[in-house]
Amino acid sequence: MTKTLLTASLAAALLGTGCAQDDAKLRTYDNNDLELAVGNAAKMNCTCRFVMLRDEAYCADWVRASPNVARFAVDEANKTVVGTAFVSWTAKARYVDDKHGCVLE
Amino acid sequence: MNRLLFLSLAVTSVLAQAQQCRARASWPTEKWPEALVNPTAKAAELKALEDYAFTLVGKPEERKGYRTNALVVVKNGAIVYEKYARGWDASGRQLSWSVAKSVSSTLAGVAVQQGLMNLDDSVCKHLPEYADDPVVCAIAVKHFLTFGSGLQWQEEYEDKGYQVSSVIAMLFGVGHKDQVRHVLTHRKLREPGTQFVYSTGDAHVVGALAKKALTAKHGPDAFWTQLFEPIGMKNVVFEEDLAGSPLGGSFVYATARDFAKLGYLMLNDGCWNDQRLLPVGWVQRATTPSETFRANRGDCSGATLPANEFQLPCEGTPNGYMWWLNRPPADGVEKPWKDAPDDTYAALGHWGQRIIVIPSEDLVIARNGDDREGSIPVNELVKLVLPLVRP
Repeated sequence: MTKTLLTASLAAALLGTGCAQDDAKLRTYDNNDLELAVGNAAKMNCTCRFVMLRDEAYCADWVRASPNVARFAVDEANKTVVGTAFVSWTAKARYVDDKHGCVLE
Repeated sequence: MNRLLFLSLAVTSVLAQAQQCRARASWPTEKWPEALVNPTAKAAELKALEDYAFTLVGKPEERKGYRTNALVVVKNGAIVYEKYARGWDASGRQLSWSVAKSVSSTLAGVAVQQGLMNLDDSVCKHLPEYADDPVVCAIAVKHFLTFGSGLQWQEEYEDKGYQVSSVIAMLFGVGHKDQVRHVLTHRKLREPGTQFVYSTGDAHVVGALAKKALTAKHGPDAFWTQLFEPIGMKNVVFEEDLAGSPLGGSFVYATARDFAKLGYLMLNDGCWNDQRLLPVGWVQRATTPSETFRANRGDCSGATLPANEFQLPCEGTPNGYMWWLNRPPADGVEKPWKDAPDDTYAALGHWGQRIIVIPSEDLVIARNGDDREGSIPVNELVKLVLPLVRP
């Protein structure tokens, strides 16, 4: 009985230790740099152009990130911005209204 | 009997005074009054401030130094100094970054003042879609308001790579479509309220809670009708995600003059034009180190964890309800802004966004910028502004 209890306690202690170590582990997210870069380019350019009302040159510099791989295209008529990187990666942001600014789709 | 009556009247009088709003000659709802400092009498002070805050260094594309867009100083209810640079003027909307957290906190205060939310409420009372999640339902509004949700969060930017950043994943990556869900589906690491963990995610949740509470009564424009418009913040943009949740940790836009109005609301104990927008005692609590902060302010042991583990920073600036405070963070530790008065508090954002409030000086400083090398220090800014505004 004592042996069983000791074993159970030891197991619990080890499990506890295991959890504590696991808790401290750095979590990683399923994003790659290109996906993040195009999302940033689309959203921040949309905001820069249609909320902050800055010009194209200002916004291009303001949004420039590292690595600087994302390109963007602004549709002034529809108030949308598409960010792209290496053809495969795209993201789109659109201006909603004068209270809610831009949303990343 | 007479004694009892006297005591009762005295208590009533004290309570009434506590609830009264400070009298002001005028309120800047429509426009800030101006009483600009004398440029001749204050020439040296102006030069010192502008040399520090407005001198650009290097090539623009190098993004070096303190790159101020706007600086507005309000003393005794009037603008005493105002300057814009880098193509900006008074009408330009500036990005708040984390100043948004203090905006969200204030909106939560408005909801509490109106009896629409209680700080002890379970989050699930306002976000019933999480009612089946016991971890989420065990967290109260006050825990999020004090960066103490207990949920795992890594407020990383670039140091350890984008893939380990909870905030970048939320704003631009896997979590961007429903950012509150991104926050609330992180696992519990600690009991709520036991550990201060600076988290844009927690602030997003505060914004979402305030929106739920306020819009239920006042409709979709409640942020504007219940806070921004009454205090004259006329052109505020508060962005949302695809799920319709406000991005209350990061993405609010307003002019520097309007950001100063938020500071002025705090300076006036949550009152505006004799109307109480924030509860009695709210500003006091918002600008006192929170229970969460006092419980544990991070890893201050000096030890370095292995690279594959997340190390909480040792926070050297106390925090109340998402406002940063000029108080010693612990016994024997200096206050963070040594040249600023003890009662200074501030909303602080990435790239040098600042709303600084100093009640003992009747002073608000609103500063917006694009400081990519490191944000302009609060201490230096206050140190240069004080001689400008003092007689």
